Amino acid sequence: MGNKINIWYFSSFVISIIVAVPIITVFSSFFETTGGYVTVLKNTFLLDYIYNSLILLTGVLTLTFIIGVGCAYLVSFYKFPGVNFFKWALILSFAVPAYIYAYSLTAFFENYGTAFSILKNLLGEGNYNAHIPKFDGMLGAIISISFSLFGYVYVLTRASFHYQSQNLIELGKNLGFSKQKSFFKIILPSARPAIVAGLSLVAMETLSDFGSVSFFGVSTLTTGIYNAWISFDDLTLANRLSSYLLIFILGLFVIENLSRKKAQYHTSSKGGFKSKSVVHLYNYKSILAFLFCTLVFFLSFLFPVFQMLYWTIIFPKHFLDLNLIELFSNTMLLVFLSCCLLILLAFISNYGNRVSKSKFLEALNTFSISGYAIPGIILAVAFITFISWLDLNMINYLGTETIKPIFIGSIFGLILVYFIRFYSLANNGIKSGYLKINYSIDESAYLLGYSKLKTFKNIHVPYLKNSVLLIGILLTIEIIKELPITLIMRPFNFETFATKAYIYASQDLLEAAAAPSLLLILIASCFILITSRYILKD
Amino acid sequence: MTKNFLEINNVTFAASAQSKVNNVSLTIENQGDIVCLLGPSGIGKTTILRTIAGLEKIQSGKIILKNKILSSDKTHIEPENRNISMGFQDNSLFPHYTVLENIKFGADRNKKKKKGLNLNEINKLLHIEHIVDKYPHQISSGEAQRASLARSLLSNPDLLLLDEPLSNVDQNFKEEIQVKLKQILTEHKITTIIVTHDSYEAFYLGTKCGIILDGQLKQYDDPYNVYHFPNSIEVVNFLNRGILIPAKVTGENSLENDDLGTITGDFIKHYPKGSEVQLLLQPEDLEHDDQSNLKLEVVDRKFRGTNFIYTLKTTSNKLIPVFVHSHHIHQHEVDEKFGIKRPINIDHIVCF
Repeated sequence: MGNKINIWYFSSFVISIIVAVPIITVFSSFFETTGGYVTVLKNTFLLDYIYNSLILLTGVLTLTFIIGVGCAYLVSFYKFPGVNFFKWALILSFAVPAYIYAYSLTAFFENYGTAFSILKNLLGEGNYNAHIPKFDGMLGAIISISFSLFGYVYVLTRASFHYQSQNLIELGKNLGFSKQKSFFKIILPSARPAIVAGLSLVAMETLSDFGSVSFFGVSTLTTGIYNAWISFDDLTLANRLSSYLLIFILGLFVIENLSRKKAQYHTSSKGGFKSKSVVHLYNYKSILAFLFCTLVFFLSFLFPVFQMLYWTIIFPKHFLDLNLIELFSNTMLLVFLSCCLLILLAFISNYGNRVSKSKFLEALNTFSISGYAIPGIILAVAFITFISWLDLNMINYLGTETIKPIFIGSIFGLILVYFIRFYSLANNGIKSGYLKINYSIDESAYLLGYSKLKTFKNIHVPYLKNSVLLIGILLTIEIIKELPITLIMRPFNFETFATKAYIYASQDLLEAAAAPSLLLILIASCFILITSRYILKD
Repeated sequence: MTKNFLEINNVTFAASAQSKVNNVSLTIENQGDIVCLLGPSGIGKTTILRTIAGLEKIQSGKIILKNKILSSDKTHIEPENRNISMGFQDNSLFPHYTVLENIKFGADRNKKKKKGLNLNEINKLLHIEHIVDKYPHQISSGEAQRASLARSLLSNPDLLLLDEPLSNVDQNFKEEIQVKLKQILTEHKITTIIVTHDSYEAFYLGTKCGIILDGQLKQYDDPYNVYHFPNSIEVVNFLNRGILIPAKVTGENSLENDDLGTITGDFIKHYPKGSEVQLLLQPEDLEHDDQSNLKLEVVDRKFRGTNFIYTLKTTSNKLIPVFVHSHHIHQHEVDEKFGIKRPINIDHIVCF
């Protein structure tokens, strides 16, 4: 049934436009004049920002690749002690935001920090500070971001390895390949799209990271954007810098796509698939595999948890001072409202695209979700800019009351920006669920007398319920951890675990930041555990 | 008002620029008739079914079912309101429901009418009782096709459309299912259009057959007529059940071929004496006779169980197929000579 503008089409169009507003705002900065700061920036820090961003990106991508692919390879192809535990335990790193990792890293290695205390208790008084390595600055940022983000590469690569057919591995053996050659010539290249997808997510998150780079005082493009807005009040320049960032990320995608040419990577789902037989590791190989996974699990999850737990225990006053009920209910209120809005609208938009089969809508949708690469700060700023412009015009031309309080410093405004930020996650989740439903399924339903609404209700919703649950939980984890948007958009005195931890940390009260950080990690971990089966499968 | 059950008037079926069937007109006169559409892959057969079902729109012409316009340039009744059921080639069972639940979706539509087939009866007829509690991914593609067929049949539609309904069914089951399908459709007077590439299936199931070639409905007739009286060289070539040899018309009932000599029979169409024509020679037109002085060289022999098909080479290098009953005495190997009974008399002579 050809393109038809109906209620589904219209809804999908409006949703995509709302999500696309910040991107349009960001790119519109090219047509506006910037303040004098642009000259200052060009002559002073711009090159530093770019250089630091590139170093940070290279470091994080290298580390996440090694950790993510290494762990995925070991747990997918080999059997060694604890392998079933590591399969899901390694994804717990998702619960630790980079900024909390940064607090832990600093707290442990700083002068007279936790490492110092441990050594003092074990060995007595001594000048240990000189011998304890310091992980701060760029190195600290790379480590913090890598250990909190490698999960993306691990999960996607593991799923790809999981679905790799034994035939492929046997083919390598048939051709006389050694294990190393099979890994580099067959296994790794066939998982390339998954690895690249994981690394792309890592790249976007790294370039838009604010919490940990600002904590370590590393000046990246994101910091530059923040300075342009906060210190120099030059929103146009902030937007222009964001668009450079966006173009850079898109450029990476294009290069990767071109380099793939027309190679096909997917395995046919019909026939030809043979489940893998895992290889038992013995002796030192088994110990090495165990140690590698243990080390990654310890560094990515146990280390920050123990550090925060340690401080929470030795400084119980900060924990007792927390209004836990308020923090928990505030966080969960945001989670609940955002998830409902995101899932509902992503569902409507995807169904609209599906029934209208419009290429225009599809393109608009793809364009709008690329906003995921825009740093949270910029989304918030772009949103405030847009509302201020709208407000001014409405007062001037329509004579209405100001609408700012509805959108700025309100739960509603905060939820709206969350919606724009996380729409791509919700949309892609529903979309990938829909991709598994052949069009002829819908057509069969129509031909059995089911209307579009009835088909949606009786066929699609039951089929996608697991996808929806998974997306809901992933969104929950992201929203619990989200920092910059919450900081900027929240109502006055409205605190979540993330903002509470950040505010203490920014005041150099790391020990006070421990309790909200720990609770944040524990709540996120619970949600990860609920959904680990789905995350590992999909 | 029309007394025909289904009328398709001058409709161009187009899914894309490549897949287009132009200006199709055909009618199904009676309820319960079965029409089979034959044609090569990618010609647009499925598009015809999808358009009749309402899944594609038409730019011109009309589709009328039981005196109601379903599609025209101005009208388009949505598929869910047509009471037309379609069985897709890829079965399209709902993956999150069991086979039984899937089939019941068909029965749901039939609730109000309370007539036609019942669930157990159809499951038994199509041999799917043992898989009703399984999910679609747990059954074979042939079983899925039969389950899909059951769902469509149970919905008791005004018009049933089947796209290659038995293409994945095992050969040993296929004939049995064909027989049962025909029995169900005829007994319950379910008007059906079947798309298939299997001419034997079409000739068995169809009350009428349509041949679609080069973006056109080339012939629409009884299966017997389609086979024995093809109306164009394209149809002959597509059915691939005979060859065309050059001949010269020598009289009211005779023609002459350089290799076979005089051939007699009734002309389907009149040609003036002396006309140069292409004569259609089908495998059953020639008879084996070792006593005959007309001998041709054997270049191939295919054993088909009930019969043999010999391929013989004429002196002018034409390859002619000859049908021989399986129990007939014949010991001709490749390169040997094979006798053809003379005089050659063909029941009906088809020339182009």
